[in-house]
Amino acid sequence: MASVPANSLLDPDVIAHAEMLGLKAREVVEGYMAGEHKSPYRGFAIEFAQHREYVPGDDPRHLDWKVLGRTDRAYIKQYEQDTNFVAHILLDGSESMKYASGDLSKLQYAKTLAACLSYLIMLQHDAIAVNIFDATVRESHRRTDNRNALVNILNSIAAYQPQAQTDIGNVLHDLAGKVRRRGIVLVISDLLDDEDNILRGIQHLRFAGHDVVVFHVLDPYEIDFPMKGTVELIGLEYQPRVIARPAELRKTYLAEFEAYRTRIRDGCQKSKTHYVLANTAQPLSEMLSGYLAFRLHTTRR
Amino acid sequence: MYFLNPFLLFGATAISVPIVIHLINRRRIRRTEWAAMRFLRASIEKNERRLEIEDIILLILRCLLLILLALALARPTVRRGLGALGGVGLTPSTALILLDNSYSMGATDGAQLRLDKARKAAEETLDTLPGGSAAALWLVSDTAQPVIPEPTRDLNLVRKIIREARLTDHGSNLLPCLQRAYENLRNKAGARKELYVITDGQVLAWQRWSDVLQLLNDAKRSICTRVIIVGDNDEQNVGVSDLRLAGGLPALNQPLRFEVQVTNFGREDLRDVRVTLSVNGDPPNDEGAIEFLPAGSAKSISLFAKLRTDGFHAVTARLPDDRLAADNRHSAVVHAMKELRVLLVDGTPGRDARESGVFFLRQALVPVSPVEAPQYFIKPIVVTPSELPTARLDGYDVVILSNVFDFNPDTATSLLQFVTRGGGLIVFPGPNCNRAFYNSTLAPLLPATLGEPRGDAEKQENIATLQPKGYEHPIVTLWNDPAAGTLATAHFYRYYPLTPSTNGAPVTVLRFADESPAVIEQSLGLGRVLLFNSTANTAWNDLPVRPAFVPLLHRALAVLLIRRDENLNIKVGEPFAWRLGLEFLGKETAVITPTDEKDYGRVELVQNVPTLRQTHTDNAGVYDVSVASDPPLTLRFATQAPAAESSLKPLTVAELKQLGQSAQVLHYPQEMALRTRIEQEAVGSEIWWPVALAALLLGAAETLLAQRFSRSK
Repeated sequence: MASVPANSLLDPDVIAHAEMLGLKAREVVEGYMAGEHKSPYRGFAIEFAQHREYVPGDDPRHLDWKVLGRTDRAYIKQYEQDTNFVAHILLDGSESMKYASGDLSKLQYAKTLAACLSYLIMLQHDAIAVNIFDATVRESHRRTDNRNALVNILNSIAAYQPQAQTDIGNVLHDLAGKVRRRGIVLVISDLLDDEDNILRGIQHLRFAGHDVVVFHVLDPYEIDFPMKGTVELIGLEYQPRVIARPAELRKTYLAEFEAYRTRIRDGCQKSKTHYVLANTAQPLSEMLSGYLAFRLHTTRR
Repeated sequence: MYFLNPFLLFGATAISVPIVIHLINRRRIRRTEWAAMRFLRASIEKNERRLEIEDIILLILRCLLLILLALALARPTVRRGLGALGGVGLTPSTALILLDNSYSMGATDGAQLRLDKARKAAEETLDTLPGGSAAALWLVSDTAQPVIPEPTRDLNLVRKIIREARLTDHGSNLLPCLQRAYENLRNKAGARKELYVITDGQVLAWQRWSDVLQLLNDAKRSICTRVIIVGDNDEQNVGVSDLRLAGGLPALNQPLRFEVQVTNFGREDLRDVRVTLSVNGDPPNDEGAIEFLPAGSAKSISLFAKLRTDGFHAVTARLPDDRLAADNRHSAVVHAMKELRVLLVDGTPGRDARESGVFFLRQALVPVSPVEAPQYFIKPIVVTPSELPTARLDGYDVVILSNVFDFNPDTATSLLQFVTRGGGLIVFPGPNCNRAFYNSTLAPLLPATLGEPRGDAEKQENIATLQPKGYEHPIVTLWNDPAAGTLATAHFYRYYPLTPSTNGAPVTVLRFADESPAVIEQSLGLGRVLLFNSTANTAWNDLPVRPAFVPLLHRALAVLLIRRDENLNIKVGEPFAWRLGLEFLGKETAVITPTDEKDYGRVELVQNVPTLRQTHTDNAGVYDVSVASDPPLTLRFATQAPAAESSLKPLTVAELKQLGQSAQVLHYPQEMALRTRIEQEAVGSEIWWPVALAALLLGAAETLLAQRFSRSK
């Protein structure tokens, strides 16, 4: 696949729709700057959050003297602090992402999605860390909130070419182990891998306190399997080729595929992970704005 | 089971088509990359076995379908029993109807002719044919006339032609007609091939009986033959079997004796059979009666007529009407001559008339008193051999050479041309003859060579005499009747032994008692040559002074002339050809047949000779011919039906039984309705449509299964 100019990844229509909505962190995220998102750190900011009992080592400056005076108990006064978050964008760059029933491949769709999300996140002064992976992380951009770095990131995304099979679960586990600060993990993948591993990886991320969103990128042909006639299907990830009459197999295929999606979806639901189906037949702006609107609606402030 | 289009069985090789299509499709398979392979593989693993079985079932169905289609196109056919078992109805047939129109079919039972019954039987036969059948119609006698040569589905046309079928005066001989018919039918497509022979069952029609049976037997495997007999067993019939000018020359105003032969073909003796003779359709000139005519025998009666003008006269002998009218009259055409000019070439003129070598010939040619001689129709002219080269031969009808030594080769060539054009030549050798000249220069002309003379005319020893009986040649048959005298009393003292020529077809007219030939004749072109072996005077024999010499000479002249005119009387069906002068070339001709039909034509060149031809001679009787020349030329000829056809003797019960082993024999109209009988014997049914139906069902099953199998699983 020829590399795509970085600018073309930023779909103006997507940006226009999503910019209004923004990407809000659903849960507390740990950032370095004051920002729009709740910080897990309490204490010294503007908005009171709660009292807690003083323990040795606490800065006596945060003691609530009024409570101490009235009740003779030492309480520390805590305040909510807004911060920025780090969004880890995990873009699946495996061979299976090359599939396209029409002009638009899943990878292209996913790249555009990743680029738009990166732009949006940086636009709201949050930081992003982009990783393109297959069985392992192939391209990695360290956390940054510098908008000037966006161009490099986009160029890197645009230039990426798939090389190998995927191993999503492994990549997710690695990420969960490496990233200490809680943030948002945006997984953009077709998830064509062992779903148990994938779900375990997601749980690991969740356990580490990350807000995980899974964008399941699928081609409409993979969803509906509408092919006719006799077709020789060549596996993209080194599977043996198969000659089949898809029309005759459609029912069984769809059952298998739907079961797989159900398992993924249920697993995500179980681990309180947003599962978003990204059908490449659906305009990206529509899909993304739909999700962001949903997220905005469900995010506690 | 056999196939009508067996070569179409090769279509079964089309079963390779689905396989080839499958292979081609493999090459034409759309290729695409696919990511979600694990779900596809899971699906395939679940359905693999079933898909394979479904594919095999569809492949088998498609191959079977093609095989059945090839079978159906090859038109499989089963015999009657199998067809009935299969519930298959009558299939269209290809029928050839042979309708006998020989003249025995003109026999009547008092109400209708046999031909009328045959027409009805033929029409009923058409009614029995299943829908979609085709039929051809041939009129048969001793020849086949394919009026509808090839089977047509337009059965109304066949009916029309059947109704218009007319009698001919041909005899009957079915064997060649059957051979042609079977050959024709074998080349036709169709499951049911049927040959209908509608005839009167006359035994004469089934000549070469064993060959006929063999032919029917050989054909019965593929062709169903039905013989429909419309005749009855009444074979009583009497007919004129021959009419000929019995003696003398057809001279004007002379009483001419005609010999009328009447045959009783029945099984009962007849008495007082009256016979009349008329000329040119006038009231009878003469009549007579045969007092007793035994069953199965023939008798001749002599009747006389006079011809009043020169030219062509139709002489007709008639019997009273009976059940077969066609043979109750018999016509012949006689070419009457006003005068007969004979050139006598005298090799030994002598000093006076009595010493002339042709003295006796002259007396015999003009056997009347000197006063009546000028009016006598034979005009002899005597010349010497030296005058022969200057004689204009075309002015004579007959040339007689008597004891001529020799003459130059040019004259010999002229004489040969004269004979070829229709002249008559009689040669009497004698002591004066140059034998070498006769055996070499005249060899192309003469029917025999002359050997070393035998006998001694002076001593009159070792006398040879002519055969006393057993005369076969028309010139001498008269003397088979003892009342006419005898030739055996003539003495031959010296003669040339004759050795028949090997070139032509010499016929011995007379023999000596020791069987050696005495007179030999030979036809040459349109003429004829008669060679005696001794002198025309009494130098070597005493025949010229015998009473038989005059009739012998006159009959010889008659035979020479008849040769020229014998084309005037031909058999029914033979083409008539009459040579004419160059001035007639291209002239229009009109021929009025005995049935008053008119045929028009032109005088055309045949072998470089202007010839008037008439090929349509299917009816016996007199044909009047006129040529549009100036002045108009008219002539007549007559055709005679074969006398044997008058015998109405039917096939015997045993013969019918033999016939029934190879063919279905039906008697019309005595037997039950033809339709029922024929349908009972329906032979051979095509089973292509059940096969095609099976193919159709298979096709439908294939479509349904293919649709079902291709449903998403």
